[in-house]
Amino acid sequence: MTATMSTHVRIFRSDPSADEASRYDEFDVSGPDGMRVLDVLRSVYENQAHDLAFQYACRIGRCGTCGVKVNGKPVLACQERATEAMTIEPLSPFPVLRDLVIDRDEVEEHYLELDLSPQRAAEHPGTTDPIDPASGRQIGILGTCISCMICVSGCPAVADRPFDGPAFMIQLRRLADLPADEAPRLEQAIDHGMLECFGCDACTQLCPADLSPADAIRSFRREALLGRGRKSGGKRG
Amino acid sequence: MRAAIEARRLGAAVTIIAKGPVRATHTRMSGGRFNAMSGQNPKDNHDIFFADTINGGAGMNNRQLARILTQEAMDRAYDLESWGLVWERRGPDKYLMAGSGGGTQLRMLGSYDEGIGITEVMIHATRKLGAGLVENRMLVDIAFDDEGVLTGALCLDMRHGRWCFYRCGSLVIATGGTSQVYETNSGPALNTGDGTAVAYRAGAELVDIEFMQFIPISFVFPPSIRGYTLTEPPFYGTRHFDINGEPGKLLNAQGERFIMKHDPVRREGGTRDVLARAIMLEILEGRGTAEGGVWLEPDPKVAHHFQQERPMYTKRILENYGERAANFLEAFQVMPSALYTTGGIRIDNWGRSTVPGLYAAGEVTGGVHGANRQRAAALEQPLQRSDGTSPSAVKRRIQEMTTREVGLVRNGRGLEQVTDTLAEFREQVLPRLAVTGRSRVLNREWMETIELENMTAVVGCMAAAALQRTETRGAHYRQDFPERNDADWSANLYVRKDGDWPRVEKRPLVLETDAPAQPVPARAEAGA
Repeated sequence: MTATMSTHVRIFRSDPSADEASRYDEFDVSGPDGMRVLDVLRSVYENQAHDLAFQYACRIGRCGTCGVKVNGKPVLACQERATEAMTIEPLSPFPVLRDLVIDRDEVEEHYLELDLSPQRAAEHPGTTDPIDPASGRQIGILGTCISCMICVSGCPAVADRPFDGPAFMIQLRRLADLPADEAPRLEQAIDHGMLECFGCDACTQLCPADLSPADAIRSFRREALLGRGRKSGGKRG
Repeated sequence: MRAAIEARRLGAAVTIIAKGPVRATHTRMSGGRFNAMSGQNPKDNHDIFFADTINGGAGMNNRQLARILTQEAMDRAYDLESWGLVWERRGPDKYLMAGSGGGTQLRMLGSYDEGIGITEVMIHATRKLGAGLVENRMLVDIAFDDEGVLTGALCLDMRHGRWCFYRCGSLVIATGGTSQVYETNSGPALNTGDGTAVAYRAGAELVDIEFMQFIPISFVFPPSIRGYTLTEPPFYGTRHFDINGEPGKLLNAQGERFIMKHDPVRREGGTRDVLARAIMLEILEGRGTAEGGVWLEPDPKVAHHFQQERPMYTKRILENYGERAANFLEAFQVMPSALYTTGGIRIDNWGRSTVPGLYAAGEVTGGVHGANRQRAAALEQPLQRSDGTSPSAVKRRIQEMTTREVGLVRNGRGLEQVTDTLAEFREQVLPRLAVTGRSRVLNREWMETIELENMTAVVGCMAAAALQRTETRGAHYRQDFPERNDADWSANLYVRKDGDWPRVEKRPLVLETDAPAQPVPARAEAGA
């Protein structure tokens, strides 16, 4: 069987609904080698702190709901391997509902504002939309963004400037590449702070879905400077 | 969510209530594959698709629902495309189609975003139409007036730790499956069968609840990923793109290709039920690995194709099993895992349950694949009790028992024991559950006490129906009745609440020639 490991964790505790100061609680957890931060949190909840508030659902990096900061670095708890000493905190800069759970209302409002359904010139015809296969694949890959907000949490430009964050840019890029979409996605990206990006690539380094929001932003920048060619498989220039 | 979109389009006021974060769904974990009659495979047609569906459902399917599924699936695929999903293509207007376990033709569409895209485009489309979407609210019970007319839904608003009531004329339950009643499962942690249990308590009939589909192969370790699907063996061999090709091979700890004992014709390309059972029998009979799995030997020739097409699975295999496994150069461990709740709330051709005003959609329903407000007071008690049993420990016990007795291998004695144990749980354990934390906000233990009530109800229904069905069929395997028995059991089992206990009734299959249910005129008011 697999070997075991142990870890000492400090977990951020806070209940804004009660009038208590936030604090850090410390726990020792052991488990199989290679266990993830989520395994540690589940063990703490089941065996030591039954009142710990934390969130997860899929366990495999798909639902994007278990984001936390481990030793200051934003990660998905289900993907990050546990280390010997960890401080686990909620994702910043979001408001905290309790302990490790953040309030995502603002995030959802943002998505709504960006109007991420394709704006079509005409109704979908009920037959296959023509899309070049390679471009379709690229659009599909951009569609694997899990909205976990890890990149937004780790983005120095978000902390410093009027920039919505990399996750939102990748959604706009996906639609900019979709032939059926007629909305001015480049203008939207600029309105939402795309030009404030430092180009540091922190988002790409952190992305648990292996995407590069930085590349999406670079494509928009190229487009802003040089204009864009025809959308592959599509209509407009 | 699809129902919400249509109801909004027709002008109804709609609110979607999500137990957890809105993205925490099973679809998102699914791989995003979709069987539909695109018309792009000249060898395929609706009747073959229908026959594959019935065959896959071991003949139990409601024929009318299966016909609707096969005829309308492509329209739903186009809906998704209209909202921005991109199905994989081999030409600008030619879809890339694959075979699936049990499918006799290449017809399965897929998207590179592997299910994430389906949920994303639907969330955006739903919100654009102005449907409300609230998170962290758990449906607890349905309310009726004195005449028995549905009046609304009682929910626990976990975010604020308070009760809330949604007044509505129609309610669509779309809470997904029940896979969390099993120890090893492939679903999201939130899928504890809440909607199934709520509908059951409200008097709705369940159907086919004894059938639980297990994915034949899933990860064995590490713990956080144990039970997560690796799809099906055909993807690990040439069978994936050639219907006559060889699937990835399954070997027990002694290196024997054990599927040949069970399904020598289709081998590892057979339906999920046969494969999952064959693997579980190897494990139970002591020919599994020390970690509790068997070996999957992939074909290195298809590694590149697999990596291109299934980047996310490749990544998971790489991270958990290493580089050689991810390149298909060595065998890796796999085990069956609870995937899809085939049975569920009985619906007619219009999605109506047997309770007026109550509808159901998606995994929570059964057939196609083969209260009142005072309750809130009782549900507050665990929060006030100062000592008692911890809900997460009880949850584990239920999961262990269900996996052992109501899983892939069942027998009469075990199923009877489950019924006895559940009775004891209801009387002795559930009333003594205590919640440790005093905060009402996002109190996980409080949520789990409600889940436990739902899980015991669901497992009770499963065990009762599984005990009645004295044969082996599809995902339901009885050690004491190992043969399929068409003479006695070409019939569905329906379960409804009778006092404190599930009452099981056997009725003939729903055939295409039976009179279909009539639609009701669209109303201007709906909730979801």
